[in-house]
Amino acid sequence: MTPLERHCGWLLRAYPAWYRRERAGEMLGTLLEASPAGRRWPSFRDARALVTGGLRVRGWTWLLAMLWVAAGAVGTGYTFYVTTKPWDPDLGIPGWSTDPVVVQIILVLAIIAFLALPVPALIAGFIRLRGWRRQNWLRAAAWASAWIAGVGLSALASAWGQYPLHSCLHMPPGAIPPQCPYGSPAVVSWGELPVCATWLVLGAVMTWILAAPAPARARCVPDKTVTGRQPT
Amino acid sequence: MREPTYFVLASLLDGPLHGYAIIQRAEQLSGGRVRLATGTLYTALDRLTAEGLVELVSEEIVNGRARRSYGLTPSGSGALRGEATRMAEAARLVTNRSHRLKAGGAAGEASPA
Repeated sequence: MTPLERHCGWLLRAYPAWYRRERAGEMLGTLLEASPAGRRWPSFRDARALVTGGLRVRGWTWLLAMLWVAAGAVGTGYTFYVTTKPWDPDLGIPGWSTDPVVVQIILVLAIIAFLALPVPALIAGFIRLRGWRRQNWLRAAAWASAWIAGVGLSALASAWGQYPLHSCLHMPPGAIPPQCPYGSPAVVSWGELPVCATWLVLGAVMTWILAAPAPARARCVPDKTVTGRQPT
Repeated sequence: MREPTYFVLASLLDGPLHGYAIIQRAEQLSGGRVRLATGTLYTALDRLTAEGLVELVSEEIVNGRARRSYGLTPSGSGALRGEATRMAEAARLVTNRSHRLKAGGAAGEASPA
């Protein structure tokens, strides 16, 4: 296998598995023919077209679901990050927080995506898996379970993201955590890490569930086969 | 119809072609203007196949990989001719007016004020 062939194969992974089974060989052949001899990497144009083409075939349902999962992972990762720092009532609030601006912007975007996407993602998944075949019903049930797992994860992250009471060692008698003084010792919420990892696993599960071709899309890949000559 | 789609269909006018041949033919027909990337070509072929404008004609194995040839369907030919007629009419609208303006300008210069 040449380096060009290998690199093109990587890029073709932007397409879902069912599509690659049908088309990857043919597309790879065209890519290799269209590339000048001695090239190790496909051109930027080809690479960009493969990635956007792959995302288009995967569909907007996949994109919504992955955005939701990524937002969940970012939110959980941030919660872990803040628990490594002394308690600060302005953590994460843009304009007030002492976090780097980039971190604040990413967090705000993740929160918006996380709040806005779960219901559209759920509905889009059901639309994608619509149909009366038994297999589709099983996938739809798996999809609903994955969605519930995502909501459960967010509840878990929220519960574990609370600043622990014992982080405020210098708390005045009778004070409750919101009045926790600045400069209290850092306490890392290690529970966030498995939640963050589970978000990534959830992303893989959702990808697997959505891997079935959309009903209308299934007809796009030709199914007519005529036997031709064998390799020489 | 977008220009790449038009030239993909036009490249199949003379008969079925496989992917790379379509890329080459489209570039040739468009005078080098339309250079299709492989991903773009297959996105277009998927869409055109789903719309019934293009069909798979044959499949062969070359160097261990599938090589499929695509051809125009009757409705694909109709859509292409319809688009060509529409573009010709749109072009005529401008070229006729340009001719009239030129003719008018020439007549104005010829006649004494």
